[in-house]
Amino acid sequence: MHVPFCVSLCPYCDFVVYAGRSARGPGSRVDDYLAALAAELDLRADALDASGTARRPLRSVYLGGGTPSLLPAADVARLLDHVRDRHGIEDGAEVTIEANPGPDERGDLAGFAAAGVTRLSLGAQSMEASELRRLGRRHAPGDVLAAVAEARRAGIGSISVDVLYDVPGQTEATWRHTLEVLLDAGVDHVSAYALTLDDPDAEGLTGPLGDHLPTRPGARAWRERARAGQDDDRAADLYALADELLARYGLRWYELSNWAQPGHESRHNLAYWRHEPYEALGPGAHAFDGRSRRRWNAARLDGYLAALLPAGPPGAAAASGPLPRLPPGGEERLDAETFAVEEAMLGLRLAEGIGPEIAARPAVAAALDWARGHGLAEDRDGGRIRLSLRGRLLSNEVLARIARH
Amino acid sequence: MIPQERFRNFCIIAHVDHGKSTLADRFLELTHTIDARQMTSQVLDSMDLEREHGITIKARAVRLHHTARDGQTYALNLIDTPGHVDFTYEVSRSLQACEGAILVVDAAQGIEAQTLANVYLALAHDLVIIPVVNKIDLPSAQPELVVDELENVLAIPREEVILASAKEGTGVADILEAVVQRIPSPGGDPAAPARGLIFDSHYDAYKGVVAYVRLAEGTLHAHEAVRLMASGAESELLELGVFRPQLVPVETLSAGEVGYVATGLKSVRDCQVGDTVTSAERPADTPLPGYKSAQPLVFAGIYPINGPDYPLLRDALEKLHLNDASITFEPESSVALGFGFRCGFLGLLHMEIVQERLEREFDLDLIASAPSVEYLVTLTAGRGEVRVDNPAELPGPSDIEQIAEPWVRVKIVTPNTYIGTLMELAKLRRGAFQSMEYLDQTRVLMQFELPLAEVIVDFYDQLKSRTQGYASMDYEEIGYRPERLVKLEILVNGEPVDALSMIVHREDAQAQGRMLAERLKKLIPRQMFEVPIQAAIGSTVVARETIGAMRKNVLAKCYGGDITRKRKLLEKQREGKQRMKRVGQVEIPQEAFLAILRTDEGS
Repeated sequence: MHVPFCVSLCPYCDFVVYAGRSARGPGSRVDDYLAALAAELDLRADALDASGTARRPLRSVYLGGGTPSLLPAADVARLLDHVRDRHGIEDGAEVTIEANPGPDERGDLAGFAAAGVTRLSLGAQSMEASELRRLGRRHAPGDVLAAVAEARRAGIGSISVDVLYDVPGQTEATWRHTLEVLLDAGVDHVSAYALTLDDPDAEGLTGPLGDHLPTRPGARAWRERARAGQDDDRAADLYALADELLARYGLRWYELSNWAQPGHESRHNLAYWRHEPYEALGPGAHAFDGRSRRRWNAARLDGYLAALLPAGPPGAAAASGPLPRLPPGGEERLDAETFAVEEAMLGLRLAEGIGPEIAARPAVAAALDWARGHGLAEDRDGGRIRLSLRGRLLSNEVLARIARH
Repeated sequence: MIPQERFRNFCIIAHVDHGKSTLADRFLELTHTIDARQMTSQVLDSMDLEREHGITIKARAVRLHHTARDGQTYALNLIDTPGHVDFTYEVSRSLQACEGAILVVDAAQGIEAQTLANVYLALAHDLVIIPVVNKIDLPSAQPELVVDELENVLAIPREEVILASAKEGTGVADILEAVVQRIPSPGGDPAAPARGLIFDSHYDAYKGVVAYVRLAEGTLHAHEAVRLMASGAESELLELGVFRPQLVPVETLSAGEVGYVATGLKSVRDCQVGDTVTSAERPADTPLPGYKSAQPLVFAGIYPINGPDYPLLRDALEKLHLNDASITFEPESSVALGFGFRCGFLGLLHMEIVQERLEREFDLDLIASAPSVEYLVTLTAGRGEVRVDNPAELPGPSDIEQIAEPWVRVKIVTPNTYIGTLMELAKLRRGAFQSMEYLDQTRVLMQFELPLAEVIVDFYDQLKSRTQGYASMDYEEIGYRPERLVKLEILVNGEPVDALSMIVHREDAQAQGRMLAERLKKLIPRQMFEVPIQAAIGSTVVARETIGAMRKNVLAKCYGGDITRKRKLLEKQREGKQRMKRVGQVEIPQEAFLAILRTDEGS
């Protein structure tokens, strides 16, 4: 479930986010949004019920953003209850909420825990004040440590942090410092992402029914400047450093950009990489039926609210007003070959790699032979194959050879 | 029927932009050859490209019926001439078809090198010159100064000069009157065996090669069989006619007339500019003088950017060749660029025009390898000589006794403030200064001898940029000279890249090699392994760069909402890989070759 609100926008981020007056204060659209989200949840669950699809309780729930931690705990509790009511949530399921570390952003962690949240994903990004400033972040390094401690006290059992490498001005020393401070604080899971400065407009993703919002001119200019401060060699060094350091603390890589203490791997994200089915709600969210259909909601909040709250804000709703409809969006049908290609592409992101039946498909096998030849792939027990350390950083070279053309 | 003594055949000699086409348009209007409603600006320059380059590429002709001040009607044949150095031979054929030439000089610019060259050519053909100082309406016009210049440089009497503004129509009638009064009628015996000079041609899908002819002697009749004296080709005339300016059929063309003959021939090779057309029944004994087949001076490989377009390129070249016999082409292949054609051109502008026409008229994306001249290579041990126009085909150093390259004499007309910078430019290009004379108080004519190879690269652009566009140039071949030339090869990971081989002077080799290696280092993407780039002469490496191994190409983040997007990005990368060219183990995007070939040297 996507919560598209932040206190402020970060210039590198291209998730669907609204900030400023939409997010906070008397004119905020958060309440409308929660009502719309609930309406979408019902409409989609109704459709699933009507289709007769056999369903089992959810094994994971993910509140992503945006900054879902800006929501009052009571709203989070209501939302999770609603999910439980319509889909069921398995005992011991992983329920993640994303949070920013700032004191006015991380929200009521104890309240979230009480509502059923079991996992916190914290947007730390860096433990260097200068890098945080450069990235346009509002929080200080100390806020991250405070948030981790608070989450622990609140009884949240699994804590993850997001950190960025290949940040302009970053050095091996600052990167090491970022990782060591976080590891010393005892985080269970680290997502280390190369700072990626995309251009969704150029990719054609920001049209009226696109799943991204147009890039603001300020962000575009920032990305152009930042790109000049990036360096692939340094990035590769920093990645290798992270892999080594994290392993020393007992966090093992399980996906290209993710390391975890055993048992703390993100079950929710693993479902994406294992090509399992998932429901998705909110603007810009993508769902997959696990077989052949992927669908998404358009990014724009106005269209989303207009479809789901046709009678205006919830309080003003007339008893006999127009009925909510599904929000605008798009879908993609996967044929068998595309499905197979995706399966290999996603599987090779994982430390578990791909099994012999996938590896033996002709397009995949040729790419893997090439990858082995260049030391990018390694054979594992049971005929499984996965990327080597170098191969992970060069994964596109391997995956592009699997892609259709 | 207008008798022979009232024929006048003439052309216009002018520098680019000095107003030739505008003047021709005024003639068409004044003689009611085309009424004002039909006038598109500059009728004679019919191809878009010509308008954009501001020059006339192919000669055109038009017959004007003009009632002169004596009350008689005259047939004036205006033969348009190409205005660029690459087309000197075509110009000379057009001049040979005339008895007179209107020399148009811009009142603000004065005489340019090109004009001078063409006037000398016209004088060599004994043409009557009608000097016109045009654009006298311009605020910056200095007609008196230009008249002085004509007098000093070409010994043209001041009283012969007509002051005109083609744009405003001033003096145009006087020019036509001068054509009637000063230019002699053509002469030639209509009863003699026919001899017609071919000064241009175009290809027509129905009529075959349509040759533009000037009958020197005799008479040609519709449907008679003709012979081309140089090529030996024979065919029955499908049609005869004159240019009004559209083609208007007539029954006969006789001595002194200018018109066209539709030959039905399928190839312009059989009907080249300069050849003589005669009657097959009653052939002339000797052809008209001066024929030579067009010799390309500049050579380059032309390749389709999309490999599968190769057959389209071949068809396009064949079609272009129908209209332009001076293009030569033969298949060649390159590791870097795939399959293409080695093409020969009259000069760099000609090459540029052909490339643009191929791209526009045939919708092809093309890349050309660096232009080369034709080298004369003397082999060791008395094994004779070979001509090499593709550096990749140069024999090994141990087989070469000597390499000679074509030299040219370059004439430059420039304001005297640029003498220093032009001396420097010529020196940089291995040139030798020959002479300098003042045309007037501020303008000079400089002469240099230079290797043609140094002129074709970007000499003209350099000339223009160093003189703020004020200088003009012309060149003529002066033969081959042996030089210390070597083949500079670029090796990527030890493998030579054929498209980047070049023949350079030994002393320039290292600098050239270093520049190429540095540029390639920036353009070739990193590979899975370290890649050395070397510039080498034989086995001697003169420059070296190293491209480090690729270390990162990863889509770091991939969550549920990203999968379609990431898959598409990977598909795109895959597409990019498909288009990679392989040099040994190294994959190089064609764009890298394009970039290095497109960027001008030294810029």
